[in-house]
Amino acid sequence: MKRTLSYKLNIFLFLLPALILFVGILIAPIIMSAFYSFHEFNLVANTDMEYVGLENYKILFSSMLTNANTGKIYANSMYLGDALTHSLILAALSTFIQLPLALIIALKLSKGIWGERAYLSIYFMPVLISTVIIGRLWMNIYDPGPAGLLNAGLRALGIDKWLFPAISNAITSSKLPFTGQWTGFRETALIAAFIPILWQYVGYHMLLMYAGIKGVPADLLEAAQLDGCKEGQVNRYIIIPYIKPILKVCVIFAVTGSLKSFDLIYALMKDTSRAELPSTLMYKLLFLHNRYGLGSTVAVVLIVLCFLFAVLISFAFRDKGAKVA
Amino acid sequence: MKKLVALILAAVMLLGITSAFAEAEKPTLTLWSIATESDANRPAYEAAIPAVEEALGVKIVMEAFENDSYKTKIKSTSAEELPDIFFTWSGAFCGDFVAANKVYCLDEEFKNYAEQLPEVMLQNSTYDGKHYAVPLTMNIVTLFANMDLLKEAGYDAVPTTYEDLIACCDALVAKGIIPFGCSGNATWCVTEYLEPIIEKTIGYEAMNEIFAGRATWNDPAIAKAVDTFQEMITKGYFDPDGLSLDNDTVKANFIAGKYAFYQNGSWNCGEINDAEGDFQAALFPVMDAEKATYGQVIGGPNDALAVSAASKDPALAAKVAFALGKEICHYGYLAGSGLPAWTPDYDTSAVKPLVADVAKMVSESEGMVLFGDNAMSADPANIYLSYVAKVYGCEIDGAGFIEALTNELQ
Amino acid sequence: MIEARKFKLSNLVVHLLLIILVIINLFPLYWMITFSLKTNDEILGYSYKNEAGERILVPPNHVGLPNHWEWANYVEAMNTGNMGQYFINSLAVSASVIAITILASFMATYALTRLVWKGRKMMNKFFMLGLTIPIHAAIVPVFTILSKLKLLNTYAALIFPYAAFALSMGILISVGFMGDIPYDLDEAAFLDGCGVWRIFALIIAPLMMPAVATVGIYTFLQCWNELLFATIFVSSGRYRTLPVGVQQLFGQYTTRWGPIGAALTIATLPTIIVYIFLSKRIQDSFIAGAVKG
Repeated sequence: MKRTLSYKLNIFLFLLPALILFVGILIAPIIMSAFYSFHEFNLVANTDMEYVGLENYKILFSSMLTNANTGKIYANSMYLGDALTHSLILAALSTFIQLPLALIIALKLSKGIWGERAYLSIYFMPVLISTVIIGRLWMNIYDPGPAGLLNAGLRALGIDKWLFPAISNAITSSKLPFTGQWTGFRETALIAAFIPILWQYVGYHMLLMYAGIKGVPADLLEAAQLDGCKEGQVNRYIIIPYIKPILKVCVIFAVTGSLKSFDLIYALMKDTSRAELPSTLMYKLLFLHNRYGLGSTVAVVLIVLCFLFAVLISFAFRDKGAKVA
Repeated sequence: MKKLVALILAAVMLLGITSAFAEAEKPTLTLWSIATESDANRPAYEAAIPAVEEALGVKIVMEAFENDSYKTKIKSTSAEELPDIFFTWSGAFCGDFVAANKVYCLDEEFKNYAEQLPEVMLQNSTYDGKHYAVPLTMNIVTLFANMDLLKEAGYDAVPTTYEDLIACCDALVAKGIIPFGCSGNATWCVTEYLEPIIEKTIGYEAMNEIFAGRATWNDPAIAKAVDTFQEMITKGYFDPDGLSLDNDTVKANFIAGKYAFYQNGSWNCGEINDAEGDFQAALFPVMDAEKATYGQVIGGPNDALAVSAASKDPALAAKVAFALGKEICHYGYLAGSGLPAWTPDYDTSAVKPLVADVAKMVSESEGMVLFGDNAMSADPANIYLSYVAKVYGCEIDGAGFIEALTNELQ
Repeated sequence: MIEARKFKLSNLVVHLLLIILVIINLFPLYWMITFSLKTNDEILGYSYKNEAGERILVPPNHVGLPNHWEWANYVEAMNTGNMGQYFINSLAVSASVIAITILASFMATYALTRLVWKGRKMMNKFFMLGLTIPIHAAIVPVFTILSKLKLLNTYAALIFPYAAFALSMGILISVGFMGDIPYDLDEAAFLDGCGVWRIFALIIAPLMMPAVATVGIYTFLQCWNELLFATIFVSSGRYRTLPVGVQQLFGQYTTRWGPIGAALTIATLPTIIVYIFLSKRIQDSFIAGAVKG
């Protein structure tokens, strides 16, 4: 039997469909992107590839301009740093607000609360709605005109009277007053874009964690209860360590998901520059600037970062897991 | 049995032949445009297509895309996938397609139309002395004014000097009327304000030199123009909501009487003319009389039709493109969605008053600058736009604007 | 556990918080449906002059039900875009992607877990790289590859890239499921004279049926809403998918809220309705994926 099972041709044939897809559409493009990132070319005008060395990386990371009059330093229009910072903020919000919220809900629901299934179904629902639709829906919620739901709500409650001036003061990127243009300023646009992203995927993470908690062996929980553990203690010392592998997956998805986030911002804002993320900057460089080399460089940076974070998170979880065990 | 089969076969063949004939009689051409349902040019396309189908015995199948997504779509379409005829912006945008040999040269067909189509209108789609696109309409930046609101502030005419305009704005603000509306969601709308202000400060020759890359942005006069624009914004002359409104909403607000002025392309003439209320068209006043005059305008023929080099019958597609261009221009002019790039050979007495006013400005114009984002190629144009967006949000001042552009667009 | 499900007073606060979350989740949908049935006047508010010549302001109706149910919005949204076609395209693409992903990942998983060879652990890790690679980052090379293969503007232009990007997740889940199938079965079949292909087709594949639903759901979530590839790789309306179609439609009605709302609702409801009927199965399969993966 062993001989048949290790028959080389069979192994190869079983792997073939997956390998063709994976290598042809994932691995080859990564290598090609890396190659493109040292070149500049215009795919529309069919120009030849011009070798530019590390120039693309320099443009994305180092070229800062100084205003001679004010001495203020600001980034060039293709600077990737801001977009990366934005996506890291999103990753942090996702990890420290979205995931804990999902975990709290999952812990409550998995204890067999009345209406458990109904709650689960409703919380998971936004995951199934197209991001384009969610983007457009939230664009209408943020509308500064008379129909905008958010401003109408704030005005009805009288919150706008102190909230809007407070936001005006907090905005440092612009001198203009804030009067409810949520997508009009750098700072507010970023928050406005993050809220629907976080909103949409709470249910996704919640269901993953819920699944993990349901998998905790009942005798483990009973033993803890017999020992007189309170609910909080059971959660902390039994359940959370047990579902660590799933928490790891959630954190990896949340962080890499934040780095690759694109659809929602693209659907929410016509001009993405106020809430630029690496993927929207890449889109702009490719399809507006026609700079295919520079755009590919952003792609390479993204791939490397996603990979790096995945490894780092796995490492962090492995370390702590060992201590608990 | 055999007979029956033969009969059926014969019938099928006959059917095939007749349908083949029908196809030969009526070749089908595909057309991509940005004339979506809400586009000002839609009626012109809807009138022109049947007219050309009738005249040339062809069938034209149009697919319309939304403006912004069209830019991406057309760029990422390979040569073979391009439709027979496609809408393009003239200038550098079309130039990329020409460079990639995706566009059929129209010189041969142009000979038949040289008398109706002034050579100057093809200037922006001519590369290496060859013509590659059929111009449709031409447009200029127009200052639209709601005269009912101006009257409330004590003005009977649109101010023609800068000092007067500022006084008018102050009077409007005192009456609780917002002077200007401008969308910050689409940066090209901001250029509709910024470019005339810069042009009225430095003059059209200097601006053309900069857009063509022969001069740098490093001109303190431009910084001053930008600062003036920002002063108008910070003084509350612009609707603060505009920062996150799209252009259609801003235009609807203007038509509904929310703003006294709206500065945008002349393709809006028809729509504004037909709206309820008293509207007039004017130009932005001169800011530096030594360098600029009132008659200088921003604009030019910027939309056009190109023929795909991979078309099955490019000669026919070229013929159809010219016929379409002429008809779209014709109906567009009458509907007020653009000024004619083609010399009218039809009754123009039905042209709407607002359109006629703007057409007069163009015919009397003392100099012209093409829209910045059309004049520059994709990369510099988008760098320029990214700083224009920062200007509207008051994130950089005039000095920062010229310094950044000088550094990035060497 | 069953008695614990009864409503308990002590859980009141918990329920209150959970219900607030329910409202946060459902309110945008409710709002979308109500404004899809309103006129612009009702959404934006309007003013009119009464008989005495006074200007009366009617404030916008934000959260209430429509005063007048404007079904014409739906007629307009349906007539403008080719939503039915886009919906079918999306279904066709998603179904093909799911089929290909399942087949390819089951086969690969069989080789990775049941066949004996050096380097299979490495190969598994290699496939797991795909979990973190952002789909958008591959756009230019995939575009060039598709264009060289003359596959742009076909269903295949979306199906193969989506399947490739769903593969890692598919393998991850399948490994969990296939590990639960007892090895005795293989051995018994082998002794009966079955080769690996027959074992895979007749024994393993039928037992992997629960995994089909799970891999299917994860794959569906990845490809149903994808926007960027769908925008770039397909230009013809014939193959356009729902997200792109919806995005196009928005460009046409920037100021008319009613038809926008109608388009949003039309694009959302089919998925939601299917979900309501199958929510338990969908959740169970999703949960199974989390546990096995």
